[in-house]
Amino acid sequence: MNSIFEAYSKFPRADCGYCGNPSCITALRRYCSGEMPLDKCLFFRTGAFDPGLIHYPAARDSPSKPGISYINPCPSDAKMVTVEVSLASGMHAKHGYYDMISLDRIFGRFIPSLKVSPSLGIARIEHDGRAIMAFKEGRMLIRRALGEEDAFMQLSRAMRQLWAAVN
Amino acid sequence: MLNVEAIRKDFPFLKEGRVYLDSTASSLTPDPVIQRMIEYYHDYRANVGRGIYRASQRATDEFEAARERIARFIGAGRDELILLRNSTEALNLIANGVQFKRGDRVVLTIQEHHSNFVIWQRAKERFGLDLRIVNSDRQGFFNLSDFEAAIDGKTRLVSIAHVSNVLGVRLPVKEVAKLAHEQGSLVAVDGAQSVPHTRVDVGDLGCDFFAFSGHKMCGPTGAGGLFIRGDLQERVAPLCVGGGTIEDVGIDYYRLRRGPYKYEAGTPAIAESIGLGAAADYLSSIGMQNISDHEHALTRRMMDRLPEVPGLNIYGPPNAGDRAGIFSFNVQGMNSHDVALALDSAAGIMVRSGHHCALPLMKELLGVAEGSVRASVYLYNTLSEVDLFVDTLSEIAKTIA
Ligand SMILES: Cc1ncc(COP(=O)(O)O)c(C=O)c1O
Ligand code: SF4
Repeated sequence: MNSIFEAYSKFPRADCGYCGNPSCITALRRYCSGEMPLDKCLFFRTGAFDPGLIHYPAARDSPSKPGISYINPCPSDAKMVTVEVSLASGMHAKHGYYDMISLDRIFGRFIPSLKVSPSLGIARIEHDGRAIMAFKEGRMLIRRALGEEDAFMQLSRAMRQLWAAVN
Repeated sequence: MLNVEAIRKDFPFLKEGRVYLDSTASSLTPDPVIQRMIEYYHDYRANVGRGIYRASQRATDEFEAARERIARFIGAGRDELILLRNSTEALNLIANGVQFKRGDRVVLTIQEHHSNFVIWQRAKERFGLDLRIVNSDRQGFFNLSDFEAAIDGKTRLVSIAHVSNVLGVRLPVKEVAKLAHEQGSLVAVDGAQSVPHTRVDVGDLGCDFFAFSGHKMCGPTGAGGLFIRGDLQERVAPLCVGGGTIEDVGIDYYRLRRGPYKYEAGTPAIAESIGLGAAADYLSSIGMQNISDHEHALTRRMMDRLPEVPGLNIYGPPNAGDRAGIFSFNVQGMNSHDVALALDSAAGIMVRSGHHCALPLMKELLGVAEGSVRASVYLYNTLSEVDLFVDTLSEIAKTIA
């Protein structure tokens, strides 16, 4: 069992750029998609870190098909409408839909309500009690929307905030 | 000792990339149990108790053998075990089967699942019951004197959970049963969260009713049971009547059968009950003590490591020794559903979020009307899954909370 987080935790996380990538996360992504051998990293090459522990993170069960669906996770919280949207397409299968590193490094700081976790592949925006979560594979969740119309409002707003991080 | 790796191979759901931490809601089902049900559909798919041909005879035999296995599993006699769908149906049977009079007192606790709460609120409306709720402290511990005060001579029934599905705390069922019997009251136990995890003996508990669900103990969905003490069955009416429940019927009369059949109207869940029998065997062959010990080791690791997570509020007893493998918590600044979504998305970890069908507890005792996250462990979970869970949760708390 290896999550991308677990793999990342085994990276040097020095962000030194020696391997030609701007950060260890980018290096991890390129390693995972088979584009970078680990010995490009000086830390791994010199044996300071043990690459034997790193596996490619297991593919997710079922990448959600593009489309929109409504879920109501808790029947006793009737006020809550949760809308799930999947923007994923075959094109993004390799690197995912959102580039969470760019999102974190470049855009995160301009949107105070935006929190990004490149290691988990999740971005979260919370305001007015509503939460929007964007997952790197292109899934977005709008939780606690007031109804369908509100959900679409939230969605288009979030998509505008995150557009520049689309791969 | 229990060999987790061997056990995990029995559960086809456990594939690479899936970490199932929601056994409190429903457990997984192992292959030996599924095979027994497939065997029924392939080899002797017939109704029980009616046909004279061999397949029907075999179905009847297997169904009754399952009843016997399940009964033995909880220390009941075979005639004391009624095969139903789940705990909820079993508890409804009690609430509707005991002949209550206006003013009868029924005592519950604040920790009850909706299935052992709403039925009594409705019974109060219908029969004019005097409903008393015994409170615990915030960690989930009770003061026996509160039960003493609530259970009086007019108390007809005390209905309490064996283990809380939110706090993971064990309720003092034995002591309460003793108090209740001293006052001439009946005792019902909601064993949905205990039977799957510890050795239960209804005789030792001293209860009159004991309800449980098969789908939480490696059985299939749609099969569960209710123990009703043999000599009590005379006085407890069935929830449904019809085919299978009667001894004789005429134009203007009917006579109910004796024993569990009186409560099992219509064609029962045959395959599922046979599957539940196989689940009881499966758990017994591993050994309930081994299962408890394994869960305790996971619980210790969880309680040792959870404090690493920044801003975590964990509910229930702080001591690993006082709790079953159920962990309810909140991450500061994050809704429980968001935490659950993040765990699933980042590491394939499945946990429950929301109210866990225990709104009175969430609102009154914990003061978290918005709900909590709940992770729970069972025999097929491993220490490295617990570690991955805590690591991922830490990362969530540090980055997106
Ligand atoms: C303590 C308790 N009682 C009753 C139930 C209801 O079980 P079922 O849904 O199988 O009827 C549950 C299930 O979550 C439970 O945890
Ligand atoms: S060389 Fe190694 S440490 Fe430096 S950025 Fe690349 S992966 Fe990270």
